[in-house]
Amino acid sequence: MPESPATSILLILSTLATALAFAMAVRRVRVQGDDQPNAWPLHLLIGAVTLLCAGLFIYRVLVIHKAWQPLQAHVDGLLLIGALLAPAILYIQTRPRLFGLSLFALPLLGLILLWAVCASLWTYRPFKHDTFEPAWVVFHTTATYLGLLGCGLGAAGGAMYLFVQRRIKSKAGLGQVNPMASLETLETLIIRAATLGFVLLTLSLVSGLIIVTQADRTTSLGEAWWGSPKVWLAAAAWVVYALLINIRSFSAFRGRRAAWLAIAGLVLVLATYGMVEAMSKSQATTQTNNTVEHEEAD
Amino acid sequence: MRLLMLGFNHRTAPLELREALAFDNDKAAQALHELRQAHPASECALLSTCNRTEFYIARPIHDPPTVEQLRTFLSERTGVAPDVVRGASIHREQQDAASHLFRVATGLDSMVIGEPQILGQVKRAYELADQQAAVGPVLHRLFQGAITASKNIRNQTGIDQGRTSVSSVAVSFARNIFDHFNDKTVLAIGAGEMIKAALSSLGRENPKRLLLVNRTYERAVQLADELGLTGPDHGARTWDDMDQLLVESDIVVSCTASNEPVVSEARFKPLLKKRRGRPLFILDLAVPRDIDPRIGSLRNVYLYNLDDLQEAVNATESDRRGLAEQCEELLQTHVNRCMGEIQHRDVGRLVKQLRERLHDIAKEEQGRTAKKLAALNGQTTDEALDDLLQQHNHRLVNKILHLPLSQLDRSDPDAPLGFYAAALRRLFDLQDQPDMPSDDEKP
Repeated sequence: MPESPATSILLILSTLATALAFAMAVRRVRVQGDDQPNAWPLHLLIGAVTLLCAGLFIYRVLVIHKAWQPLQAHVDGLLLIGALLAPAILYIQTRPRLFGLSLFALPLLGLILLWAVCASLWTYRPFKHDTFEPAWVVFHTTATYLGLLGCGLGAAGGAMYLFVQRRIKSKAGLGQVNPMASLETLETLIIRAATLGFVLLTLSLVSGLIIVTQADRTTSLGEAWWGSPKVWLAAAAWVVYALLINIRSFSAFRGRRAAWLAIAGLVLVLATYGMVEAMSKSQATTQTNNTVEHEEAD
Repeated sequence: MRLLMLGFNHRTAPLELREALAFDNDKAAQALHELRQAHPASECALLSTCNRTEFYIARPIHDPPTVEQLRTFLSERTGVAPDVVRGASIHREQQDAASHLFRVATGLDSMVIGEPQILGQVKRAYELADQQAAVGPVLHRLFQGAITASKNIRNQTGIDQGRTSVSSVAVSFARNIFDHFNDKTVLAIGAGEMIKAALSSLGRENPKRLLLVNRTYERAVQLADELGLTGPDHGARTWDDMDQLLVESDIVVSCTASNEPVVSEARFKPLLKKRRGRPLFILDLAVPRDIDPRIGSLRNVYLYNLDDLQEAVNATESDRRGLAEQCEELLQTHVNRCMGEIQHRDVGRLVKQLRERLHDIAKEEQGRTAKKLAALNGQTTDEALDDLLQQHNHRLVNKILHLPLSQLDRSDPDAPLGFYAAALRRLFDLQDQPDMPSDDEKP
């Protein structure tokens, strides 16, 4: 059962608006010269997505949760990313030097919103703030979700880098009126987004460590946690981003390899999310079974 | 005289073929010398640039070289298979050949419409042919006409203003890779017109360092001075510094007259590691190419050549077609005038030839008549009778010629002079002779 039908409906609307914006962005890149469609409808559409996501996030915090912790479930985190990514895309659209990047960032926004639709409709499960220290959990989840925003932007930049580099190498679209963002700009974007992702991922890991260390005193979570794939994947993602932010010093990783690293970093972060989901599900199942066994014994 | 053009350009031949068919200054001089030796009655000129190799020939109507002979000559000199030469070559005759040269000189046949460098190249081709004593009155008139027409049309229409220059395209290519230039090092290899234009354009982007190397260091210094490239970060460097400069550079523009690649793959590959993965944009404007094409496939190296530029220019030149059409109209007037002058001169020589022919016949007949009169009288004819006969013949020949020659009214632009001239040659069996310049016609 969906937690809030209004949330799901508005998220579906946002996803559809993002898909429409993507189609319009493709047309703007394809049609050059005087026939190029005006940018304002596209700006308005992405502005509308921004308002929908931000409005919905605030509505959920103030009306649904009525609690000081803004992130009460996975859908809230995804909404937060959407509410930040959409204005970032709006900004990208107005920068001539980043022309074409929205083509790669909009699908990412669409996927995040689609994920949020699933998280609100079918897989809704609130975070257990009461199990751990609530302040650290809020810090940990906020840093994790905002870190995902940085990783996503870096991956979008990486995908575009590969696309633009391939076009340049194959010498396609020579003499095009509106060239796409330069490789140098994209490399800078990857580094900056990776820096944001790295800092927040570090904060997330540190806060996660604090939570687990505190939890060890009261629960047996720590033992399983230290060797879990989630930890290994998070550590791998951290190393990838640590490498990415220093990419200009490592000649072997410059160019296409940096772009692939940015994409690999996002994949690792998403895999970590998947592991968190899988682990929390299995923990929930274990806890339920334990409760049933205890009740039967009683 | 019959005008003929045989050649290849960027539209008919790919870069690899143009490389093989290119003539540097020495080879061009040698080719002109050989052609002149083989066909002394003909005039010839050779225009060889990055984008074209074209022979211009003026020959007596029934004399060699024919188009096929020229193709064979070209094939033998360049080592390109005759079939390839035949398949990629274009040839034009008479008015069309003249139109072609005028279009070339005006830049209407160029990759970048209206580009000014081609006019200098046409001038140099003409001067080289003149130095080799390979041009006569027809080609003198043709080339001088083309150069003058090019200047007039450029002034009248401004076709060479606001064009998409090769160098501006180079900058837009570089912008695909670099966001800004103020921390970049630009290296130019060569010191010719193309390099000058490219450096002027790139200089406007305020790169951190703007350097140039040339085999002849003095020429590099001269060009650097011309462009105002002074200070520690700008100016000429020696040829030996090139490897180090290739490591330090972000943008390389090359255009030398070298027949071999200046930067080979074997030379460049060891430098790649020292570059520490920094992207390198290379623009090779030379034909034959200066940069080994295999370098373009190396990691973080982006290599462009003239054919790539053409594609880009084609995409942005559509808005200049109107201006080009205006130029074509003006150009046709110049071509007609020039060809008219060449044809009038041709007809003038023909008329002179015809008169001489008829007077020779009359002279022969006069001699025969004089002998018969002497036989009748039993004594030699006196001088007075000879003069009388001569005057009679002269008047007779002139009166006979008056009507047909009045039809060859050379002031009438619509008169089919070519047709009349051909008919007269055929009817009176007159051979087309090489056109020898008078002293006042020599440039």
